[in-house]
Amino acid sequence: MNLGQQILNGLVLGHSYALIAIGWTVLLGVARLVNFAHGQMYMMGAFVAWMVMAKVGLPYPLALVTSVLAGVLIGFVMQEVMLGLTLRQDLVSIMIVTLGFGYVLHGVAAIAFGSTGQILDTPFSTINVYWNDIWFTGQDLFIIAVTVAFFIALQLVLAKSRLGRLARMVAEDPKLAILAGVDVRRVYFGVFAFQGAAVALAGAIVGPRTPILTSMGFEEVIITFFVVVLGGIGSVLGSYLAGLSLGLFTAFFGALVSPAYTTPAAFLVLIAVLVLRPGGLAAKPGGA
Amino acid sequence: MSALLEVRDLKVRYGGNLALSVGALSLGHGEIIGVVGGNGAGKSTLVNAVAGWSRGAPRVEGSVQLGGRDISALPTHRRVREGLLLVPEGKLIFGTMTVEENLAEGIDDPGEGRKPYSVEEIYALFPRLAERRGHLGSQLSGGERQMLGIGRALRLAPRALLLDEPSIGLAPKLVRTVLQSVSDLRAHGLSVLLVEQNVKAAIEVVDRVLLLERGQVVLEGTAAEMRNNPRIAEAYLGAQRA
Repeated sequence: MNLGQQILNGLVLGHSYALIAIGWTVLLGVARLVNFAHGQMYMMGAFVAWMVMAKVGLPYPLALVTSVLAGVLIGFVMQEVMLGLTLRQDLVSIMIVTLGFGYVLHGVAAIAFGSTGQILDTPFSTINVYWNDIWFTGQDLFIIAVTVAFFIALQLVLAKSRLGRLARMVAEDPKLAILAGVDVRRVYFGVFAFQGAAVALAGAIVGPRTPILTSMGFEEVIITFFVVVLGGIGSVLGSYLAGLSLGLFTAFFGALVSPAYTTPAAFLVLIAVLVLRPGGLAAKPGGA
Repeated sequence: MSALLEVRDLKVRYGGNLALSVGALSLGHGEIIGVVGGNGAGKSTLVNAVAGWSRGAPRVEGSVQLGGRDISALPTHRRVREGLLLVPEGKLIFGTMTVEENLAEGIDDPGEGRKPYSVEEIYALFPRLAERRGHLGSQLSGGERQMLGIGRALRLAPRALLLDEPSIGLAPKLVRTVLQSVSDLRAHGLSVLLVEQNVKAAIEVVDRVLLLERGQVVLEGTAAEMRNNPRIAEAYLGAQRA
């Protein structure tokens, strides 16, 4: 086994997982909501970037911006449709509606982009770097850099800005936040838009690592679920650590045992962690 | 005294049950009205309905006017922005945020007739909060939470303050401190609807008293008139027995 290569693979995978999951982390933490269309929103992010670059001929930075805007739009439309359910915190209906949205997005994408796989080449993905016996692409470094910057910025916004304070107020007690003059509906809209933007950005940045298909999305939801639960509901730092842990585990388990059993093994680890620390990695020992 | 807050034909139902029915209630500028009554009399239901707020899902009818403007159709957060502030019973601060963060959300330019309280003014009113400014809300005592809840409301430049049981669970000395602070706010022209079970303490700071029983106003008068009223004594003693 090439140890250095596996560490690098794990780091890249881990940062990819963390970036894919961060939108759901905030959605669950602030609005106590889930979105099972998350994976299809990731797929849309990747395909919008591909379309902007391959069909329209615009550069990658503009493709990223367009993907983010598309994610915001999808998140906004979803929240507009489900606002009543959101305010009532009707989680069962929200699960079903978002699952349905996922299928709708899949259908729309199949019509718009076709069902054949596409390669999302970016200026970074074509840069190959060989260092000793380790190989990586410019896109791998870009994923790590964007994820680290994104998490630091998000932590700062949540901890230091008015926007972050309002989000934390709604996260703790939306009824009490209303009495502080907070328009909780707008916060919910903002959180859904953020989730859409973040996962679409992940699609446009992580997508280039593999061929993209309109049928993808299910694996991303499973990864997101894993990362969010392992990290501790709503914990930004916990999600980052959980994504990193899952990435390193996947890389090493795949190299040492078999890639075929990585997901069941990862879930066994998740179960063990949750038994020992019910609140996830970010919680104090014993839960909470 | 001209009316700042006027409530007409207010009815609150939970399911099919009528929990509150108040024909008319008028709160003047700079006036403090004490709303007293036993457990389940509808005191919290009254202030919650006026604020348009509830942790449940009641059906509310009737009109609420603030400064001559009908705000009945406004959602709660808009009523807050108009200057109608409720400090609820129970959970009234954000436990995961520091005292300073709890006080951070304010209105800088609330318009004519409303006093925007700065954080420093809140600390001057409640010096204990200044000492605890870096502590989380969850680390505060009951009295400190009440002070912070009131302080948080003052930051939003209230015209009328609806206080729900600010003395509940507090030591007698703290009850006097909190209620005296409420009384002091009157000097700044603030109007207060004060829900209290501690009638003896409340009657010392209020201008008028409403006695609620089974969701209806059964007695109303000035503090001086009500101080020795037998029905008030009965309600007070009832509260003490509970």
